[in-house]
Amino acid sequence: MMSTAFSILKKDLRMEFRSKESILAMWIFSLLIFVIFNFTFEVSRLVMLEIAPGLLWVAFVFSGMFGLNQSFSMEKENGNLRAMALMPVDGGQIYVGKFLSVTIIMLMFEALIFPIFIIFYDLQLSLGMFMLIPVLLAGTIGFTSLGTILSAVAVHTRNQQILLSLLLWPLVSPIIIWSVTLTGMVLSGEMTEACYPLLVRVGAFDVIFFTLSYMLFDFILED
Amino acid sequence: MRSKIDKILLIILLIAFLVSIYLIFQWVPQIKASNPAEQIAQRIFYFHVPSAWLGFMAFFVVFCGSVAYLVTRDRKYELISVASAEIGVLFISLVLITGPIWAKPVWGIWWTWDVRLTSSLILWLIYVAFLMLRRYLPDGSKRANLSAVVGIIGFIDVPIVYYSIRWWETQHPKAVMASSEGSLAAPMFFAFMFSLATFTLLYVYLIRKRYQLLALEDTINKQFKEMEIL
Repeated sequence: MMSTAFSILKKDLRMEFRSKESILAMWIFSLLIFVIFNFTFEVSRLVMLEIAPGLLWVAFVFSGMFGLNQSFSMEKENGNLRAMALMPVDGGQIYVGKFLSVTIIMLMFEALIFPIFIIFYDLQLSLGMFMLIPVLLAGTIGFTSLGTILSAVAVHTRNQQILLSLLLWPLVSPIIIWSVTLTGMVLSGEMTEACYPLLVRVGAFDVIFFTLSYMLFDFILED
Repeated sequence: MRSKIDKILLIILLIAFLVSIYLIFQWVPQIKASNPAEQIAQRIFYFHVPSAWLGFMAFFVVFCGSVAYLVTRDRKYELISVASAEIGVLFISLVLITGPIWAKPVWGIWWTWDVRLTSSLILWLIYVAFLMLRRYLPDGSKRANLSAVVGIIGFIDVPIVYYSIRWWETQHPKAVMASSEGSLAAPMFFAFMFSLATFTLLYVYLIRKRYQLLALEDTINKQFKEMEIL
């Protein structure tokens, strides 16, 4: 039943692994964000530790826009977008495929940039950092579940890139707030029981917007 | 197009606004505050809160219109939700302007990243993006579908945004209606309700006018198209 979604996922991942366009652009862009932040906010190491979680998410979110924009704009070439709309399948399937590919690409990029982040900001590696995995996973899914559907909306416009940012950022602000708080808790080693309810909230956000987007995606494709 | 209802509405509105201005600036007793600036600034409350209420109501109408459009595919609902989004943005802009005017003499600052202020700003940004999206799309069923989808997602996101921003310590005064110790005195309550009713009437009038205008544009566009075919 989910074969359409998996075909799209396979196609997207194959394209990405051949060209490495998105991941490379996202990675370099994040690197740039770290460098620019370093120049613009000359702060002591202690303050740096406090703002590090925010910086990490700024890098994720800004770079994530590349992946999201790419995801549907590449379908625009050769009229693929129309072909997708004509496919005799549930629109939700296409959403799931696109969502999975964007999420996987973004998670891989996060895994690649995180070591650089650790080195630049001289963070102490510890076992507790494994708790970052669910935090990044839940936060990224929230970002991409809304991002995928809004990217599909924005791709129909003349000014796709700016419009996606305008639509997406206010809507994902809860994810950013919660994820930055959670990441801060993990990095400072204060991963206490207090963060589980927070993680549940991020999870709830993911479920709500994934389901909603799945249901609404049909309307975006049709003409 | 000009109906009798609109004319009557307009006359009622004019009178109601004059009355509410009288109530707000003359009739309502001065509040007891140590700071004289605060006593004057407090009266902005009668504009600020009704505007906020209308903003939320307008966005609720956008949501209902969007759902109704996707279910029925009736262009009428698309136009209603667009008209309502425009008016909602207008009223939330008023909230964002009147709020700092009040805050400066009372809190001593124009702006603080408190939950209500921040969430109002994000609310404003969501619906400005909604209107921008429509600007960037050519007219047609595609635009109607896309904006309806955004109208639905946006509205469902609003309470979540509010909830998430509550993480920051709130500096905003508690809702006077809800808290028991700070309930409004009778004349204030009356003036407030009168102002609220006036603003709601203004919303009704504006959305009627805006809807008629949009429908008129539609008719003209259709006639132009027909002429081109000929």
